[in-house]
This record gives sequence, C-alpha cells and structure tokens, in this order.
Amino acid sequence: MENIPGGRMSKIKIYTILSFLSVIILFISTVHALGITPGRTTVNFEQGLERTIPFSVLNNEHKKIGVIFMIQGELNRTITLFDNNVEFLPSEESKSFSYKVKLADKLEPGLHTGEVVAFELPQANAEGTYIGATVAVISQLHVYVPYPGKYVDVDLMVLDAQQNTTATFIVPVTSRGKLGIKEVRAIIDIYSALNEKIKTIETDYAPLDPGGRTELSAKWPVNVPSGNYFAKVTVFYDGESRSFEKQFGVGVNILSIESILVNDFTLGEIAKLQILVENRWSAELQNVFANLLVYNQEDQVMADVKSSTERIPSLSRKELIAYWDTAGVQEGEYDGRLVVKYDEKSAEKNLLLKIRSDSLDITGVGYAIRGKGAGGGISLTAVLLILVIILLIVNLAWFVFFRRFIGRNKKAK
Amino acid sequence: MNHKIFIIGQLIFLILIGIAIFFIYPRVQFNLDGNNVNFKSINANVVILSANPDFSNPRFVDINDSVSFNLKPGKYYWKASNGVIESFSNEFNIDSEVGLEIIEKNDKKILQNVGNVRVNVTKTTEGRFVGHIILEPDTGEEVEDGEYTGRQNE
Repeated sequence: MENIPGGRMSKIKIYTILSFLSVIILFISTVHALGITPGRTTVNFEQGLERTIPFSVLNNEHKKIGVIFMIQGELNRTITLFDNNVEFLPSEESKSFSYKVKLADKLEPGLHTGEVVAFELPQANAEGTYIGATVAVISQLHVYVPYPGKYVDVDLMVLDAQQNTTATFIVPVTSRGKLGIKEVRAIIDIYSALNEKIKTIETDYAPLDPGGRTELSAKWPVNVPSGNYFAKVTVFYDGESRSFEKQFGVGVNILSIESILVNDFTLGEIAKLQILVENRWSAELQNVFANLLVYNQEDQVMADVKSSTERIPSLSRKELIAYWDTAGVQEGEYDGRLVVKYDEKSAEKNLLLKIRSDSLDITGVGYAIRGKGAGGGISLTAVLLILVIILLIVNLAWFVFFRRFIGRNKKAK
Repeated sequence: MNHKIFIIGQLIFLILIGIAIFFIYPRVQFNLDGNNVNFKSINANVVILSANPDFSNPRFVDINDSVSFNLKPGKYYWKASNGVIESFSNEFNIDSEVGLEIIEKNDKKILQNVGNVRVNVTKTTEGRFVGHIILEPDTGEEVEDGEYTGRQNE
C-alpha cells in the first residue's frame, strides 16, 4: 500500500465524511402533515340557531407538532372556538374539538360560509427564524338560507362515458327555496368539441321538498369517437329553469373488471375467486386471464394466483375462476393487485384484502351493480297498505252481509 | 257466524301476517370504517344504496355473503331487499377529510393531498395571497417555500 502523509490522510477523511453527510442530507425527507375532519359541515338556516359542531385534527405523521386555530370567513363573528391551540405528541394520532355557532336572526338568502383554520406552527431553525413551507387545513361551515319561492342548485356527473357502452348522465338537484317543487326535470344537449350538436337526451322527473335532494338520470349510447364533449344542461322546475355547461370526456375501455366474489371462505383452505369481467369491445377477446397478486407487510408478493384462460364474446360478461390456497396465510389486511390480461394489453385494479378466519372481504373492485328492475322487492309500506285494503274489503263485505242478515230477520219477524 | 268470531279471525290474520313479515324481513349487518362500508347478509341478497332520501338513481349491490367497498364522503341512504320485500330506509354519513402533507426531499418540496376529497390549496407568502392549486386525493405537486392552506373543493 502506498504511504500517505498524515495531513493528506486527515483531509481525505474529512472529504469522505463530508460527502457521506451530504449524501445523507440529500436523501433526508422532512414531512409536514396535518388533517382535519369533517372538511365541511352544512347547516340549514334557522332563526337564532345555536349549535355545537365537533371536528377532529389529525396528526397523520405521528410527529410532535403544535397547532393553532383561527376563525375566518363571513360567519367569523358567529363562531366561537373552545380551544385556541393544541400540542400533539408522536403517540397522538388525532384529537377532537368543537366550536359553537350562533346564527343571527336574519341572513340574506343563499350560501354563507365560515372557516376554522388549523395551522401547523413552523419549527424554528438554529438562528430562531422560520423558513420553509408550512401547512394549514380548514373545516368549513356552510349555512344555507332558503330563497323565497322556488330555487335549485344543480350539477352534472357523467358515468361510464366509454365507447360502445351506455353512459349515464346524473343531474343532482337540491332545492334551496322555501317552496317545494312539484316536478323537476332536465334536458341535456351533447355537443362535440367543434360545437356540433350530437344528441339531446331527457332525464326522468321527480318532485322535490324544500331543502330536499334528488338525482335525475338519463342514458346515452356512446357511439362517438373518444375525446372531449360538452353537455349543456337545462333544468326545468315548475315553469322556471336554470342552465349550465360542463365538459366531459369519452374514453376507450375494452375490458372492465366488474367484481370479485368469494363464497364460503375458510382461512387455510383453497378459496374460489369468481372474477367477473366485461368485454366492452365489438369483437371477441381471446386468451383472457386474471392474475391476482397479494403483497405481505414487507411489500413482497406472498400469493400469485392465475385463473384459467377464456374467450369472451363481444359485448358480454364472463366469470374467470381462480383458486387460491390460503394455507399459511395469517388473518389481517393485505394490499393486492388484480390484473386481467387480454391479447397484449391488460386492465388492472389495486385491492385491499381483509382476511379473517371465515371471511375474505376484497375492497377496491367495483361491486356488482344491477339494473333497477333486477333487484328490490315490495316496500314494507306497500305491504301494510295492501293489508289495510284487504281488511277494509273484508270488513265491508262483512258489513253488507250483516245488514242483509238483519234485514232478512226483520222481514221474517 | 257472530261478531266475536269475525274479530278474532281478523286478529289471527293480522298476527299471522306479522309473523310472516318478521321472518321474511330482510336483514343485513352494517359496518362503517372510515370511508369503507361493509354489508354482511343475514337473509338479504341486495342492498339498495342512494345519495338521495327518495332513492332516486339507486345502486343495487349484490351481497351473497359479505361485500365491502369504498364510498366518497357524503350522506347515504340504504335499504336491504331479499327480492320479496324491502326493509325500512337507513342512513349513514361519511365525513370528508382535508389532509395536506409536504415532503421535502432532494431540495424539492412536494405538496400532497392525503385526504379523501378534492382540495383547493391557497398559497400565501408573508401574508400575501400568491395563488392556488387544486389537488385531487392522492395527488401532489412540486411547490416552493410558503404557507399552504387546504379547503374542501367539492
């Protein structure tokens, strides 16, 4: 080995230590985290209303932090906090608090808001100054004052807007007026990005009580290319109307994972997984199979389960069956990934598997949803109504029979 | 036939109907854990779920044994059915959670939405409004020094 003079040796040592430290500093990650729940509390206005509203602050990263509370917004004078600050220890995940609201006797119709801000106190550096980024989270208070007459709040959601499927347009309508609405319905005009009208669809209709909420829906068979589209929505309610526009996208979805079903599960035995997939393409898909990967707490694959390979005819559903030997698997919650492969493509979903001795709950995959006519039954109210009608008829029949019987007796006398 | 027999007959009829309803009434065990709902069937095969008290636009969820799924924050109404009759309406609430996280790594700061709703994040520097960012749950964006305040945006 080459001789190195003492001074040079110590310099090399210092450089090595410094570069090691700088690498460590480079990879150190500082985390500021704060949460609050509920994010919003909604109250319908009542004259002079007084209410205590609870909320919780979450120390998501389990760190020692200080949090201060502030009130802001239009309703700041109506909100009174019981606490102004709080200290969290690493062992404390959340703490519950509350604030008091006392509404004025009169407020203008519409939405009025107030905010409770939870602000993470920044940590001072060695010089005693505060630098860097800090976070604050807000729990909102929304107070709705009803409008005189009839008034609605409306929105639009578009579900399953994929080629060769039927998209569902949902128009949530909330009554914000003092008067109820006899009938609310909507007309939706669909336009392309070039402003060419493609289709007009009508929703169903419903009555609406003051402060009530309903959802109007309409179906649209998607036979247009993928891309961006506009929906111009006009909501009609008892001779009045409100219009708005919303953009939505049409995508391409060939294969969709609908649900996973596991029946008669016993931990330690072989579980049968029924994976329902739908071919939304206009041609048959070949070599379709499902691959379920389950990960342990160290993020290593602890189960790799494959189903048999199937062919799925166009626009139809098929169940892929896979068997999982659960011998040696412990009870608990595990992350998983379900991949359904077809041709050279795949569809996948992240899952959460809750395994107990006699049950396997899989979360993350859509649950089987059936059409309106397929499920349900008679409501209990209807059963009771039928019962009342039967008893009424029986009693009327008895009454008629009884009068005739008395009449006959009188004639005989 | 006299009045007494007729009234007793009606009472027996009502009791029999009551017993029949008791046995065929659809029952499920309901559990709520954060935004995860679990329905365990006792003698029902469908849960009807809606965001509206009038059950407009309902979702019909099959429950052979047990079913779990996540829902967005909001108020929900549900009733069980066994194909013969539907149960009375029940309701539950999933609270929204506004959560922000700033991860500082390699001289970069990433602001992450760790809550369960879309948030509108306001950025202020020395008390002055600078701008705002909309973040969907589980998404993030690179940010600079400043104060980031998140509020529910849906």
